[in-house]
Amino acid sequence: MGNASSLLSEAETRHLMRRAGFGATTKELTKLAKRGYTREKLVDLLLKYKPKPLKTSNQDGINEVYDRWLDVMLKTKTPLLEKLTIFWHDHFATNISTVEDTEQMARQNALLRTMSKGNFRQFLKRINKDPAMMDFLDTVRNRRKTPNENYARELMELFTLGVVDEAGVPNYAQEDIVQIARSLTGWRLDDNGNAVFREDAHDFNVDFPERGPKVIFQNRPGFGPNGIDLITAGEGAPEIDFVIDVLLVHVDSQGKSTVGRRITRRLFEYFASAAPSTALVDELLAMSGFATTWDIAALVKTILNHDAFYAGAATPPYEPGTKKSVKWPIDYVVSTLRLMNVHPKRRKYEGLALEDSDSLRAHLDAMGQRLFDPPSVFGWDWEAAWISSATLLARFRFACDLAGNHTKGKQGFHPEKMMPLSLQAPNDILNAAGNVLGITDQLSSSDREFLLAYLTDDGTRPALNLGDPNLRARKLHGLFALLLQSPAYQLH
Amino acid sequence: MAVSRRSFLKGSSLAAASSLVAPALLGNPFVRRAFADTIGDRYFLSIFLDGGNDGFNTVIPATNGGGGLRTAYDLARSTGADGLNVGPGQLSSTMIGTDPGSGAQLALHPGLLGMKQLYDLGKVAVIQGCGYSRPSLSHETSRVAWETGTPPGFSSGTGWVGRYLAANYGGSDIPGVCIRSEVAGELRQNATSVLAARRLRSLRFPYDQDFEDDIARKRAAFLGLYGGAAAGALPLAEYVGTSGTATLLATESYAGLHDLYVQGRATFDQAYEDLDRGLGRGLREAAKVIYGISEGVPNVHARVMQAATGGYDTHSDQGGPQTDGRHFALLSELGDSLKLFYDDCADMGLADKVVILVWSEFGRRAVQNDGGTDHGTQYPVFVIGGSVTGGVYGNHPNIDELALSDDGNTVYSQAAADPFRSTDMRDVYGTILKHWLQMPHQTVLQNVLALDAGDPAERWTQENFDMGFLA
Repeated sequence: MGNASSLLSEAETRHLMRRAGFGATTKELTKLAKRGYTREKLVDLLLKYKPKPLKTSNQDGINEVYDRWLDVMLKTKTPLLEKLTIFWHDHFATNISTVEDTEQMARQNALLRTMSKGNFRQFLKRINKDPAMMDFLDTVRNRRKTPNENYARELMELFTLGVVDEAGVPNYAQEDIVQIARSLTGWRLDDNGNAVFREDAHDFNVDFPERGPKVIFQNRPGFGPNGIDLITAGEGAPEIDFVIDVLLVHVDSQGKSTVGRRITRRLFEYFASAAPSTALVDELLAMSGFATTWDIAALVKTILNHDAFYAGAATPPYEPGTKKSVKWPIDYVVSTLRLMNVHPKRRKYEGLALEDSDSLRAHLDAMGQRLFDPPSVFGWDWEAAWISSATLLARFRFACDLAGNHTKGKQGFHPEKMMPLSLQAPNDILNAAGNVLGITDQLSSSDREFLLAYLTDDGTRPALNLGDPNLRARKLHGLFALLLQSPAYQLH
Repeated sequence: MAVSRRSFLKGSSLAAASSLVAPALLGNPFVRRAFADTIGDRYFLSIFLDGGNDGFNTVIPATNGGGGLRTAYDLARSTGADGLNVGPGQLSSTMIGTDPGSGAQLALHPGLLGMKQLYDLGKVAVIQGCGYSRPSLSHETSRVAWETGTPPGFSSGTGWVGRYLAANYGGSDIPGVCIRSEVAGELRQNATSVLAARRLRSLRFPYDQDFEDDIARKRAAFLGLYGGAAAGALPLAEYVGTSGTATLLATESYAGLHDLYVQGRATFDQAYEDLDRGLGRGLREAAKVIYGISEGVPNVHARVMQAATGGYDTHSDQGGPQTDGRHFALLSELGDSLKLFYDDCADMGLADKVVILVWSEFGRRAVQNDGGTDHGTQYPVFVIGGSVTGGVYGNHPNIDELALSDDGNTVYSQAAADPFRSTDMRDVYGTILKHWLQMPHQTVLQNVLALDAGDPAERWTQENFDMGFLA
């Protein structure tokens, strides 16, 4: 049991850096250990970033912007910005396949970065008017005569309330969707691609805003039999912001902040593991004050300082009930390259060749994750859904390509620069290689047995001379491939 | 009753080794016979139309029949610039049977010409008005309801096909293949392995080819690591473990299927290429598996397959009968791909061994919005195959304005006397399980599909697993 001022152990530091960043190299870890961080100090340090947009140009296609983002992730010193931006990209999932406009997608990415640890209320209000989102979920096609329910539904189902609350009770009715859709009529994009409200009084035009009352949440706890009218703060343009204010005061069947609980749950599941208890969700929510301040940074900080988060740092043999999480493809790729100190040049990834492509993007595609192009508004499916024979093969292929890459310079993998070649005992070599990838303590005794059998050719090679480049290429690079392919490395 | 693979393994000394079973063992003719005994060489293919297919523009009333079906359709679907209305004159080439409830003449959307050809062969069951009680309009929630075969809120997380597989196959079997990158929801469970691969030709386990003589040792270590995880204490690691083991073994057994097909079935291989549609290419992968098994390729035992095709969430720009419309393109891709796949199977002499179910997470609103349709409820599914008794089953939903629910959707009904009585999706599933996959009636009810509690007029409280489309 610990709290924010508990000193971080090595395993806990590794865990925090894996989950709130892209892992810590041996060098970084030594530095951190020297300074002796408490949970709170290191979490504060991780949260101390200035959100910067990606540097893009108007001529860029989506692949250039994507490459730019990968490049930033591979080099960044403020990885939590990236981790949170990815979270929000999944939460407010919008895809280029539908939007077909790189500039709008880049603008949305800049918004996600800017608001990544900001105020959730302001964040939602800006998402309402985000051009890519307005196009993606048909706000720009929402007409007075024929309201389009697409955005109104997802705003409640995915971005805020969720279909049902922690007790399984529905949070809203179909009628609420219809009324919110009506209140969001009249919003279009101007010539510069900015959201604009068509105030014109030509009510006969189906494009223009719907007048009159729009009552939602009738007979819901907290709203009473009369519900609340979305024109309460003014009819027309003010409705789009007022909707958010109403959603944020929604309470569930247990009288708790519906949005507060749901965002807390999602962020915990993202950073720690699936299915936290309602009691834990409520504890984190209360400690963070999120349901009153809507301060995302405070919520993230509360989660990353909590014992429940550090339970994920457990090492084998595991107690019953221990929870781990499947690494997302983006995590698998970026953290592996960082830990192995391989720096593929942007747009040129020689030595990491797939059959028909040479980019990290292609590797990620095959693993089931294409940034800027989540499969649908639901974002990506997490945990076990990342794992199938197809996506595992993509991971195995990446591992094999990377570990077997002897290219000179920073594009290649050079274990001899990351561990002493004087090591001879198979056990020491396994530990040193495991440390490079940060998983020595995650290997079970049975894992070690099989890896050592590989390294020693079933015990026929009691010592290894890593100074021999041929043996190194065969066995040490081979060991790294196996470690990257191991079940333990797919989890964190 | 056939010997189930699972009980066979449990009842033998092989059970302990089953999680780490080597390909050589699956090659054992005795093990393979037990496997084949479950459903012989029958195949079941599930095709998911992602996004919610507009059922009311898929099976369209051309006449009123004894009621006012066509009149109601004309009120809901407008003509003109953004209109989705398909006129009777545009339906003349795709007429099918009549609506059992109202007697109205029905037709398929003109994009479904390929489907119509199969219908004329008597190989397509059009099952109207399929759904479940208290339907959800959320893509996710409704898809999960269809995948799991349970109404929202009652799901255990496993798929309806998955529960069938779990009852019949063991941990190292690969009885299912998903022609996509992820395991489909209806096949999900954790008792047996399901292969997911978009293209069989890329199924090759990656080893560093510079050190060929090290490969056997890497393979042994890999199987050790993954076997350990499969037997371990973390449920997530267990899942990763069985998936990884199955993946390695599948790359060894499925790898040759692509070349075998390309060489043995060049004409059809080229026909899929010429068709140039995503779904067609996916179905070609299924054809490769079926062909490989028919040619006796060892260690390939898939009986259940799944493919998905997207783009059906037509809130806007849906298009009516126009050949350049979005819905037209989607449906012609569906019909043409299925027709080619059927012909391919027929040419192999196996058309009567394959049953295909085409489904979506929901239908769409009867009344269109400006140029598209919002989320709806009941819609028609298709069951296709050489052994299928073709025809129209189930009633068209009541799209009369006055009969629609408050949110404008058709209402699910199980009232026996209702001429618009809906078909519960679980009656379709149960008929397939009982009459095609040979699962005993009571076992289906106990292991796969549980009846609802509640009002028999609005809940699925009485099963009908003998719908008639499969003998």
